[in-house]
Amino acid sequence: MTTTSADTILRTVTEIAITETGLTAAELTPDADLRAMAGVDSVRVLRMIARIERTFDIELDDADVFGMSTLAEVTAVVERSVAEAAA
Amino acid sequence: MTAGERPDAVEVPWSVIPDYHCFGCSPHNATGLRLSFTPRADGALEAAFRLGRAFESYPGVVHGGLIGVVCDEVMGNLIVLARRVPAFTVSQRTRFLTPLLIDREYRCVATLPPARADGPIPAHAEILDANGAVCATSTASYQPFDLHAVRDQLTLDDDEVALLDHALSTANTLSPNGARP
Repeated sequence: MTTTSADTILRTVTEIAITETGLTAAELTPDADLRAMAGVDSVRVLRMIARIERTFDIELDDADVFGMSTLAEVTAVVERSVAEAAA
Repeated sequence: MTAGERPDAVEVPWSVIPDYHCFGCSPHNATGLRLSFTPRADGALEAAFRLGRAFESYPGVVHGGLIGVVCDEVMGNLIVLARRVPAFTVSQRTRFLTPLLIDREYRCVATLPPARADGPIPAHAEILDANGAVCATSTASYQPFDLHAVRDQLTLDDDEVALLDHALSTANTLSPNGARP
């Protein structure tokens, strides 16, 4: 299994976030606080996480899911989970 | 809703047992969910459902445990139909995004990731509302089993095992492997 780079993960996560939140790439910067953004509620975040889990074929812990606020944090958790799945 | 009421529904192998009582999919179980399953062109398996107050939790809300049952049922039958092997659920994680409401239409869509080596078979499921919004997701692992090896745990006679063997080996119209594209 090839290693998925953080840049690739961030790009995919951002594309999913755009689809699920309706926000633009310019608004969805890596360090933007998702839960503080207009129109983004916990259900939208969970739908985004569900799509991310399916895309990367991973299963994230609830503690991680509810502890993430930014796409950079999502990317770090996904990167770790992908690496664990490949180990 | 039974398979017989949906022309596009696929018969599950267990239907060859005249009195099978699966809580999830048997039309003979009056207190069950009576799910029927429709194969999709992309290899997924889908079950539409609407649950009444018999399955209520908080007023007007479907009991969460039943959501897990629906997902388990569709994932498990996708494995039986696509891999042609029965399997026990080993583990299941269900994430609830929004409450499911009583007497509303939903559908559960199950998919299989590409086949892996030996070991438990992973599966995914989503519950979608009438607008296609995801309301719940579930992942699970299934351990295939040999009907003959678990005869002491299943109440099946020799004729029924033979019927099931034949049903499991008979071709169905499901997309090859039911694999997610």
